[in-house]
Amino acid sequence: MSLIGKSPERPDAFDKVTGGKAFPVNVKVPGMLHAKLLRSPYPHARILSIDTSAAEKLAGVKAVLVPSEVPKRKFTPVYFVPANAGSMVQDMLIMSDTVRFAGQPVAAVAATSLRIAEQAIELIEVEYEELPTVFDPEEAMQPGAPQLHDHATNNVAVNPVMGFGDLDKGFAEADHIFEGVYSSHRVHTCYMEPRVCIVDCDRQGNFTVHSSTQHLFGLREKLAFALEIPESKVRVIKSPYIGGGFGGKLDMGYIEPIAALLSRKTGRPVRIEQTRHEDFITTARHPIKVYLKTGVKKDGTFTARHAKSILDTGAHATHGAEVINVHGVFGLLMTYRCPNSKWEGYTVYTNNMIGGGYRGYGSPQACFAAESQIDEICEQLQLDPIEFRRKNAWHAGEPHPMVQGLTLDSYAFDECLQSGAERFGWSKRKKADSGKGTKKRGMGFACQPLWVSGCIGFPDIYEHSGAIIKLNPDGTADLATATMDIGSGQITTLCQIAAAEIGLPMEAVHMVQNSDTTTVPVDAPTHASRATYSSGNAVQAAARTVRERLLMVAGIMLDISPDQLSVVDGKILVKGAPKRSLSVAEVVTRAESPFVQHGANGPAPTTLEEKGTIIGVSSLAPKANPSPVSVEFVEVEVDTETGVVQVLRVVYAHDLGKLIHRNGAEGQVEGGFQQGMGYALMENLQFDPVSGSCLAADFLDYKMPTAVEMPRDIQSIFIESNEPSGPFGAKSLSEPCITVPAPAIANAIYNAIGVRIRELPITPEKILAALGKL
Amino acid sequence: MALNLEDYFLPASLQEASTLLQRYGDGAMVVAGGTFVHGLEVRGLLTETVALVDISRLGLRGISESGNGGVSLQALTTLAEVGAAPLISRNPAFGSIGDALQYPPRQILNVGTVGGCVAAAAPLYDLPAAFLALDGQVQASLAARQRAIPLNDFFVGLFESALQRGEIITAIELPAPAARSASAFLKLETNANDLSILNVAVRLTLDKDGKCADSRVILGGGVGETYVRATSAEAALRGQTAGEASFAAAAAAVVDDFEAVEDHRASAAYRRHIAQVYVRRTLGTALARLG
Repeated sequence: MSLIGKSPERPDAFDKVTGGKAFPVNVKVPGMLHAKLLRSPYPHARILSIDTSAAEKLAGVKAVLVPSEVPKRKFTPVYFVPANAGSMVQDMLIMSDTVRFAGQPVAAVAATSLRIAEQAIELIEVEYEELPTVFDPEEAMQPGAPQLHDHATNNVAVNPVMGFGDLDKGFAEADHIFEGVYSSHRVHTCYMEPRVCIVDCDRQGNFTVHSSTQHLFGLREKLAFALEIPESKVRVIKSPYIGGGFGGKLDMGYIEPIAALLSRKTGRPVRIEQTRHEDFITTARHPIKVYLKTGVKKDGTFTARHAKSILDTGAHATHGAEVINVHGVFGLLMTYRCPNSKWEGYTVYTNNMIGGGYRGYGSPQACFAAESQIDEICEQLQLDPIEFRRKNAWHAGEPHPMVQGLTLDSYAFDECLQSGAERFGWSKRKKADSGKGTKKRGMGFACQPLWVSGCIGFPDIYEHSGAIIKLNPDGTADLATATMDIGSGQITTLCQIAAAEIGLPMEAVHMVQNSDTTTVPVDAPTHASRATYSSGNAVQAAARTVRERLLMVAGIMLDISPDQLSVVDGKILVKGAPKRSLSVAEVVTRAESPFVQHGANGPAPTTLEEKGTIIGVSSLAPKANPSPVSVEFVEVEVDTETGVVQVLRVVYAHDLGKLIHRNGAEGQVEGGFQQGMGYALMENLQFDPVSGSCLAADFLDYKMPTAVEMPRDIQSIFIESNEPSGPFGAKSLSEPCITVPAPAIANAIYNAIGVRIRELPITPEKILAALGKL
Repeated sequence: MALNLEDYFLPASLQEASTLLQRYGDGAMVVAGGTFVHGLEVRGLLTETVALVDISRLGLRGISESGNGGVSLQALTTLAEVGAAPLISRNPAFGSIGDALQYPPRQILNVGTVGGCVAAAAPLYDLPAAFLALDGQVQASLAARQRAIPLNDFFVGLFESALQRGEIITAIELPAPAARSASAFLKLETNANDLSILNVAVRLTLDKDGKCADSRVILGGGVGETYVRATSAEAALRGQTAGEASFAAAAAAVVDDFEAVEDHRASAAYRRHIAQVYVRRTLGTALARLG
């Protein structure tokens, strides 16, 4: 246990700070071709003809692919659901002759060099028939709007409606009713490594795939489905690292199936690497407009809540069909106790780019609406916002509000509120707009009261993890799992959990670097704040088997019952007889030694029971889905002449069950704040309003906070409520870190200057306009 | 975006560099620090460029006094070197230079050059605005010929300068500032890795009565194809006592001096508003620097 909660050095740290070769973007395969996609300049069009003859004649061009050549089975590219999941929408083709967003691939070329491929796509002649466009989801829902898909009347892809209680009665019982419209925009996860893949098809039609992905098995399943081949024909290699994901690599892109088809055509490996501009139009957080109506008693008790959410999913439903549910349930319907609630979601097709996964998965949009409105209610009714939340909160021991049969075993909302408020100095908050001078300071906070540790209990979502741990004769352990480290430290925490459970020093556990879908158990993606909890449980289970086997062999060697033994820091200790200890290396060596050993007294047999690799294998789903809780306090300074907002300091309190790796956890909080602050204040993926083309070429156009804009003071408080179903008591951390900053900042801005901005991002211009200065 | 680059040269002399530039004409681009080559490429602005002429081996580095308190900055002097030079940092007249150097991303301070940000001829850079406020001039060389070009005449259009084919900037010269002069600079940016949305550089020269004897008000960023000298703002200051009232008048006047750009980064109205705030603030800073 001594390792848990410490900050052992990340095993990947040295490799990464010295340049890290082990990313998919570094992979080179002998004989590989380079492919480039030709993308449509129009947001809505029908392809009338494609002439590839000039491109095919260019020296070095090995294959050209056009929509008529791709399989006709429609699919959803989302990794964590079955390909034919009923709750999702199968509306995509690898390439279609109908273009629904600017940038959709319409042809591809594989050539001996990237430069030739780039020249070749410019030689392809495409004749388009332009179609009427719609970019606003509420316009798209109107009768008569351009229709994107035959199956979706008024462009509504899915329309979940949920609720309980009696809404009319609830509003009738309310002393006050508040209504507001809160809208959010499109932002990109800004993973560092571009989406990239190499696909190699052999002569038997077996595909070997390298890809910067958050999910090996999801890519295997979706690629096989789209290509209409058995899953065993696809082998996805686990890259030791990927350069970030944040949910932005949770679906198969266009590049993997296109590379696969080009490889099958040419018999050579085909590599596609997206430019940053292509990455920008590949995945983004969905803009969601939330109409929120809330009834409260004088004392702040909720009596009724009604929300309507309109999500712009772009050209295809993909993640939009699931994001809407997570948004509604975990952001609006179930966050607080309210007896009469209703939520309606609309996932709407438009001619915008396709939305994707992004850390928080619908919750930041909801949290901004809900936590902003609570602040408005408290301001108007003169209620204490901390007490307000306490009054409406869930409590430990209550049934899980969403997943039947589960209980909120660990749930420390109160402690988060209290310790955060104390550390921050919340009691020093002044009345709104009470500062003097041009620069005004304000304090605010926001909460994420309910979230997930993985996806147990949710329809259609995979939730499995597995691990293989085997010991080596030198006393080290190899840990193999399909769980991807997407930059957030899974290699470290999983090695740490294995080391702590077996009783090895941290540096004795190594993550296997070259496993693939044929060698490790099935796993869900690294997403949904699940890896530490779910994969951690699987690793712990495999480690427990390893320890039991280790003690069994040691017991035979020492002629003592295993229950008299323990493993500590690589040594087998005998209760009450420390001098009889053995090293793990000695035990493993013995287990793998020849059956008969020649010793000082001549040949002597060992026993059959102790023979063989000391190995532990697990493949399981976790028992529960514990909810973390988070509260974030921020102080801002607003320049009332320029509208520029500076975040001065942050205190973040989070119930994570049990801290596994302190530095890693703080990194999650700080990284989440950077993304959340960017979402609140500056990040915005912008498009030309007429052509629908993305205006961002690179990070000069797409603005995210750099180290310079980050507050110098970010403090993390980790509340350890000890989750009984988690590894060493742990549950999740990641996503609430990105969810709470936007409403916390919005509330602090209100406190500073007395104006409420309900539309993200809160730009300097919006602030000046709200102040009546523009 | 197909890149058509074919040649990369590392000439050992100015003469050789000029010859290469003359040979390739519009097909060549000079590279010094090279910090914006990628930025041009992804925006499709390098498609005509077939040769890069890297002048980083030409020396041309250093800062020296040039008679009566003027300063000469050789073209390949890095931004970090300018920031560290006592000749610049100790003189309140050059305050705008120190201010402008607060903005470029840390990552490029040791490679970005003085000559490079001027030669780029885009009003989106910071340092040239400060140089304009100080009546700087460019020294340019072509074969044996050396000539001075006042910065006021240097910027002709977006990515267009007064340099002739083959001509290379060798230094930026700043004349000796008049007594009781100070300058200041402010930039509006979204993050620390940004080209200017709007920037303002001012220089204030006071007479013995504290009245404004001379001033420069320069606007950059989204103000058009080149930097703008705000003559109405300068006129509003002339002969007035330096202080809140005259600065407010200059700020009010500056909106007549430029056509604010309207784009996805900021509205024209916001740029006009910021120009006023920044003119007032930079003038205040400059006045404070005079003690």
